[in-house]
Amino acid sequence: MTIATHDPAAAQTEAPPAPWRERHIRWRRDHRLPARVLIIFALVLLALSAIFPLYFMAQAAFRTQAQWNSSELVFPTSLSFGTFKQVWLGGEVGVFLRNSFVITVGSTALSLVISTMAGFSFAKTRWPLRTVTYYFVLSWLALPPVVLIVPIYIEMVQLHLINTYFSVILLYTAFNIPFDTFLMTAYFRSLPDDLVEAARMDNASPHQIFRMVLVPLARPALGTLAIFNILYAWNEFIFALLLLNSNNVKTLTVGVLQLQGRYTINYPVIMAGLLVASIPVVAAYLFFQKFLVRGMVAGAVR
Amino acid sequence: MSRSSPYAPHRRQRSARLDRFWGVLYAVPALAFVIIFLAYPLVRVFGYSLTSWNGIGAPIWQGFHNFGALVHDPVFLDALRNNVIYAISVPIEVIGALVIAYLLHERIPGWRVFRSAFFLPAVYSTVVIGIIAGVILQTTGPIDGSLRAVGLSSLAKNWLGSPADARTAIIAIVIWANFGYSVLIYLAGMSALDPQLAEAARMDGAGSWYILFRVYGPNLRGVMQLVLVINTVTAFAYMFTYIYVITNGGPGFSTYSAEYFIYDKAFTFGQLGYASAAGVVLTLIIAVLGYFQIRWITGGQQ
Repeated sequence: MTIATHDPAAAQTEAPPAPWRERHIRWRRDHRLPARVLIIFALVLLALSAIFPLYFMAQAAFRTQAQWNSSELVFPTSLSFGTFKQVWLGGEVGVFLRNSFVITVGSTALSLVISTMAGFSFAKTRWPLRTVTYYFVLSWLALPPVVLIVPIYIEMVQLHLINTYFSVILLYTAFNIPFDTFLMTAYFRSLPDDLVEAARMDNASPHQIFRMVLVPLARPALGTLAIFNILYAWNEFIFALLLLNSNNVKTLTVGVLQLQGRYTINYPVIMAGLLVASIPVVAAYLFFQKFLVRGMVAGAVR
Repeated sequence: MSRSSPYAPHRRQRSARLDRFWGVLYAVPALAFVIIFLAYPLVRVFGYSLTSWNGIGAPIWQGFHNFGALVHDPVFLDALRNNVIYAISVPIEVIGALVIAYLLHERIPGWRVFRSAFFLPAVYSTVVIGIIAGVILQTTGPIDGSLRAVGLSSLAKNWLGSPADARTAIIAIVIWANFGYSVLIYLAGMSALDPQLAEAARMDGAGSWYILFRVYGPNLRGVMQLVLVINTVTAFAYMFTYIYVITNGGPGFSTYSAEYFIYDKAFTFGQLGYASAAGVVLTLIIAVLGYFQIRWITGGQQ
């Protein structure tokens, strides 16, 4: 089986085993020139396709409706900022942005706290039924969310949470917990038990061990999960559509669809709305991306 | 899991009690969220599935009648068949992402940029992707526009117009949107491999591709299974939003998935009992997949 890195320091620094330049030179030696060109060309195409939506939204958003031609892909010669003004004033985008921020930050913070605690419990403490409980929490990874729409709607009505931030914050947290707990448990397991024992010798309580020893070491995994949870909450669609009807609480992801309803064929305005909805998550991704591989290494890969 | 208790012997008893107390306490919040927002609603779905219910009056007990009707409902069977078709994305992701991750791991020129770019499609919200795809794929869009420009107007068409084309478009978009996750998981797996494995093969004169498929491949079996299962579950449980924003299920019912069937029966037709029965069937199908998922992910650690 896979030989995993058990040394937490190595997991944190993502130190390549050989300096990357060396591997780079080896890569050149291993592939003939035509193959190298073809491979790089294919990857460049793929990378361009990944950036394309941002480009497409931007070039469309700076047009006026008269300049719109859906088959054109170059920026217009005269940039128009009118669409953004229209989106901001007519689309209540400011309110949607605030809602998305509150819901994303709330559910991400709650998910991280709860699953870090659970990961500690499953990886570093011993109690009866621990393993069964762990599998029970994990088993929801494979549940299609759509299956639950009817009872969740009814439950939220009964809890008087319809049209509140809490409805989706609590729900997103519940949907995040299985994967988050899985990754945190795997991450804590990869940290040596000696750490825990040394702290115990110093009379630290389990709670102190968790707070002072394990949580500070968990930062790479927390960074990875932060990205996943932010992306999920910002982009989630089904339950946001179902549970948030009033514009006061609606998220941007649902809001932009409403924009499409209002401006039907005024694509420049719609694209400006999509761009406004995408920039915060793209920025969050760029900010957290250094954690992405690091946190996964100790977690999901064994 | 830690097999031996990490305590000094003379303190074992007191510590074990403490451990049990804190261990359970730390797992309780995660467990509570899962039970309140996932397990309890799922139990309700099982209950509704045995009734006929329009959401307004009281549910009428029907036993297993809904399940009998489902087995003979051509729309449901076609929806399930479409899920199987959508699963074509799975082998493409499992192999394609492996090759891409390997190239990045080999430190291909520009690997940092590629690594950042390849995750971007997973950052965009599905709603954004769906609306842009709609513009790109229509007859006035840039694809048909450039086909006409180079004199291939006979190839120009509405790329969502026929059932086969619409399904192909959905599969392509889902692969594109998710391959960043698969690449990420592989990258994490590769960076946890012992570099001496590849070194030894290299000493014996092995080429780059030989190392990928004969040295890395077998050692990444667990990671490959994880990618396989995540993508399979996606094809069955996370297709709804893509279909909703790209084709709305059409043309006709041709891009329906089981999830779309459930949503439509519940909210368009008000057949909540029937929709719940379909939800139970889909859950059972994925539970089988989920069972293997949990076994594969955690296998070798237990």
